[in-house]
Amino acid sequence: MKPSSIVIIGSSGGGPRVLKEILNDLPVLNGAIIIIQHMPQFLNELIRESLGACSKMSVKIAQNGEQIKNGTIYIAPSEMHLELINNVQIHLYRGKKVHFVCPSIDVTLKSLKWEFGIRHIGIILSGLGQDGAEGISYLKKIGGVTIAQSEESCAIYGMPKEAIATGNVDLILTPDEIREWLTELIGQTPN
Amino acid sequence: MRRVLVVDDEPMVIYSVKRILESAKIEVHTADSGKACLEELRKGFKGLILMDIMMPGMDGWDTINEIVQEGFAEGNIICMLTGKEEPDAKMEKLKEYVLDYIRKPFDKDQLLTIVGDYLAYLE
Repeated sequence: MKPSSIVIIGSSGGGPRVLKEILNDLPVLNGAIIIIQHMPQFLNELIRESLGACSKMSVKIAQNGEQIKNGTIYIAPSEMHLELINNVQIHLYRGKKVHFVCPSIDVTLKSLKWEFGIRHIGIILSGLGQDGAEGISYLKKIGGVTIAQSEESCAIYGMPKEAIATGNVDLILTPDEIREWLTELIGQTPN
Repeated sequence: MRRVLVVDDEPMVIYSVKRILESAKIEVHTADSGKACLEELRKGFKGLILMDIMMPGMDGWDTINEIVQEGFAEGNIICMLTGKEEPDAKMEKLKEYVLDYIRKPFDKDQLLTIVGDYLAYLE
């Protein structure tokens, strides 16, 4: 069964501690979260453990070919782009860097498709550069909800600033507000 | 492994960061230039690197480039120490190696929290 909501969170420098703030006390959502964090490969598992320890949702490194599910957080592994096929199946592949990074937030966001009954949410957190800005514009075009982290709460405002400059960001929120907003909009998984 | 390498050409910054971190029982190594940082890594330093961006000669980004070229990025976490201004986006190609940016001047508690978080990854 496809998830009812798909949240793509893109982050770079300063991202790990913001992700912890957002996931800490976040209930198990009635949706799937995919995290694209720019980082060296040796940190993949360490970040997964750290986020898993503070999250009520199950946190895993995304595997090629797996189908995403409600209540689970998927972290894109380093050095692979992550696309979502038909809004449900993870496709990982080694490709050229986009905006100097792999995985690229833009690649994942631009792989989403409008589909009746599925809500798409794109969130751009702290980080240097412009990855995510094109993807946010695409997401807006297919009816998704777009969010950028607020300037005062960012370690580095570059990526949210670029996303906001496209004119396609719906909400500018702090990490606490992002958590509250996700909980209210997506809702918790029924026990 | 609670070990931090502070790389900054400002003696006052090195002094204050060292004092704050040592008060939390963190082993602190120091380097006053990119070259000295690479020497520490060649001698076997592993841990968290707090790297100033603006340094004369080899700046923070040049130093990270060398760290990557020499294969020292594996197993070390790098956080940049920045002033008020946004880091130069021309070095975007190295951003995958920088996990965080810490603004100067530091708030003692915030610095200890951030450093503690990243050291926990390496323990």
